[in-house]
Amino acid sequence: MPRFLLSLSFALLLTAARLTAAAVVQVHVTDAKQSSVADAVVSLIPLDAAPVFTPSTTPVVVAQQGQEFEPYVTVIVPGTRVNFPNQDNIRHQVYSLSKTKPFEIPLYGPGTEQSLLFERPGIVALGCNIHDWMAAYIVIVATPYYLKTATDGMARLVDLPPGRYRLEVWHPRLSGEANREVTIAAGDTAQQSITVILKPDRRIRRAPDGAGGGYK
Amino acid sequence: MIFRFLQFRRFSHRLFVLFVGLLGAALATTYFVVTSTNESNARENARANLELAARLVDSAIKQRIEFLVGSAKVMTGDYAFKQTFSDGDARTLSSALVSFTGRVGAPVITLYDPDGKLLANSDHAMDNENAGPFAFLIQQATEKDLTQHSGFSYLKGQLHVLVVVPFYAPYPNIFGWFGLAFPLDREFVGKISAISGVELTYVNVEDPDQPRVLATTLPVAGTAPTARAAAAAKRAREARELRPETEMVALPEERYVTLIRFQEMLAEDYIALVLQRPPTELASARDLENAIKLTSLLALAVATLLVLFIARSVSQPVVALVGHTQRIARGDYVVRNQDYRADELGRLSLAFDDMARGLAERDRVRDLLDKNVSPEVAAALLRDGAILGGQEREVTILFADLRGFTTLSEKLTPQELLTLLNRYLDRMSAAIEAHGGVIDKFIGDAIMALFGAPVAQADAADRALAAALAMEKALVQLNAELAAEGIAPLAIGVGVNTARVVAGNIGSARRLNYSVIGDGVNVASRLQSLTRTADYRTNVITSAATLAALREPTKFTARPLGTVPVKGRAEPVEIFAVE
Ligand SMILES: [Cu+2]
Repeated sequence: MPRFLLSLSFALLLTAARLTAAAVVQVHVTDAKQSSVADAVVSLIPLDAAPVFTPSTTPVVVAQQGQEFEPYVTVIVPGTRVNFPNQDNIRHQVYSLSKTKPFEIPLYGPGTEQSLLFERPGIVALGCNIHDWMAAYIVIVATPYYLKTATDGMARLVDLPPGRYRLEVWHPRLSGEANREVTIAAGDTAQQSITVILKPDRRIRRAPDGAGGGYK
Repeated sequence: MIFRFLQFRRFSHRLFVLFVGLLGAALATTYFVVTSTNESNARENARANLELAARLVDSAIKQRIEFLVGSAKVMTGDYAFKQTFSDGDARTLSSALVSFTGRVGAPVITLYDPDGKLLANSDHAMDNENAGPFAFLIQQATEKDLTQHSGFSYLKGQLHVLVVVPFYAPYPNIFGWFGLAFPLDREFVGKISAISGVELTYVNVEDPDQPRVLATTLPVAGTAPTARAAAAAKRAREARELRPETEMVALPEERYVTLIRFQEMLAEDYIALVLQRPPTELASARDLENAIKLTSLLALAVATLLVLFIARSVSQPVVALVGHTQRIARGDYVVRNQDYRADELGRLSLAFDDMARGLAERDRVRDLLDKNVSPEVAAALLRDGAILGGQEREVTILFADLRGFTTLSEKLTPQELLTLLNRYLDRMSAAIEAHGGVIDKFIGDAIMALFGAPVAQADAADRALAAALAMEKALVQLNAELAAEGIAPLAIGVGVNTARVVAGNIGSARRLNYSVIGDGVNVASRLQSLTRTADYRTNVITSAATLAALREPTKFTARPLGTVPVKGRAEPVEIFAVE
């Protein structure tokens, strides 16, 4: 009986600590050559309790600008609505054949804004039927703890409750999988370094603009 | 050995062998050098042509692949197709692929998922089994992260080139693969053949014992290219190396230059591409060879005629000279050469004729002498150029006679007698000749000798007396020998006189004798006969004339014997015994 009490008191203490001292995990993503990797999606999926996340109330934007998608990689949680505004003076036809969310937005002109709801977690590769070089990714993660690495390869995840997590890293050129289990203590600031293997950067070279217009 | 072989009996043979042999060797060398160079050049050209055709084949296949890759890329951009693909509607996809075959001209278009599973095809015969090679290519391309891949394989039992192209949505996300193919059939090889002029044959050499023609431009699928390909495949298998081979292949009707190239297949096997070309380069090489052969033979023929002509022109006069020489050796000096040419042979003929003339003259002279005089005297006469005509000159004449010869002849047989006489005459002659005397004649057992004729001798008298004394001495020696043989000794009488006489050839036109005539000769004979007079007690009697002619009188002892009358002479002759 006193043993039970002891445990309970410990649990109360822990809860108090969790409320008062959230942890921080700083993840550094590098490639095989130890170069920092930008645009890598870093997510921490809680293993001790079901993750609780709330979709953003303001729509996330993947714009078509200068015949490119902007941004290249977008991370959202399921149930998020994504707007596809055409900011060019030409038409686009955005599609995806990804199983997560196959779709096609038939040709739409400048100024038009199309909107789609992404409900399932997964990766959606975006393309344009008019422009082969246009490519972007929407990564839908079922956790509130995610971030995209900056150009220095760093992602600083804050307000993490202590506990066990699966640390996942995804990148458009990722070869295989990159994840590990991490345990976070209260009030801790943990450093995590993850090395990923990337496929060669192969993008379709964009043809020079204007058939007869010469080069800039 | 070789020198013995080259010792020809005829000059023309030697000239022929040397000249024609050298020319023949030079021409043969030229022929072989030119033809072998020519042949290897032609072969090299033919090979270069065949290799060009082989590269043309490679290039055509590569272009076709690129075209199909491009076509596949365009097809993936088709929205409706993309939509259908995403929907997974296999029937619609298949009918779309049939439509594409019309667009890109590829007879086989198939569609696969990223793992190489067949999703749709343009041809019902292209079932999963036939799609195997495509799946293999997709697997390889995925492993090697290739943006396109191709290979050779059989589809529905026919040789094809297969191409796989990924289907991006968007790039570089692979959502599926296109598999396209085109056949390497008669039409394909025909097009290459039309451009290159080379006959092409694809041969299945999986089992070299049973080669199988896959496609050919030859009107009749001849056995030769397949056999060649099979043989080459066997060699390649033994060498474990797929090396292109060039060789000459003899087809019954014409020769082909052949190049064999091996092409690896997807299924760890290979086929052979046999490229053949009518040997036009070789034909021109043969023409040149024949021209050289003909020219060489012509040159040899001309050279032979030329050599025979030259040899004849050289050997004919030589042969004539040989004949002349033989006739001269037989003593016929009348022969003369004709046609004195300007060269060495002409000069030789001229010199030869001069020699013949000289020999004739000399022989004539020698002939005259040989009949009378000893060879030495004849030679001396010729050397000193003695004139043999009648000439008055001072000569010392020696007469010798054997005493008591008549008595001797009765005791001996004629044979024994003649032997003894000759023995005696031989000794006497030797004594005379030793002192430079010339035997004028033998008269039975008597000897007549001359000193100072036909060649003048300043000491002729000295020589004659010395000879007389030498004869006495020689007889003593002979008598000693005879005594040993039981024969009675011989006795001699010698008369020597010096007088002016007429010397010259005496006799008839047929037979001439060089001799002397005159009173002095009779005197010498008379003096000889006087030695029989016992009172004189001497074997040698000479005249005052001889003593007067002596150059060294002190050498001789002369005992005066008084004077004797001589027949036909008014004055008596004063005589002396010489001892
Ligand atoms: Cu576009």
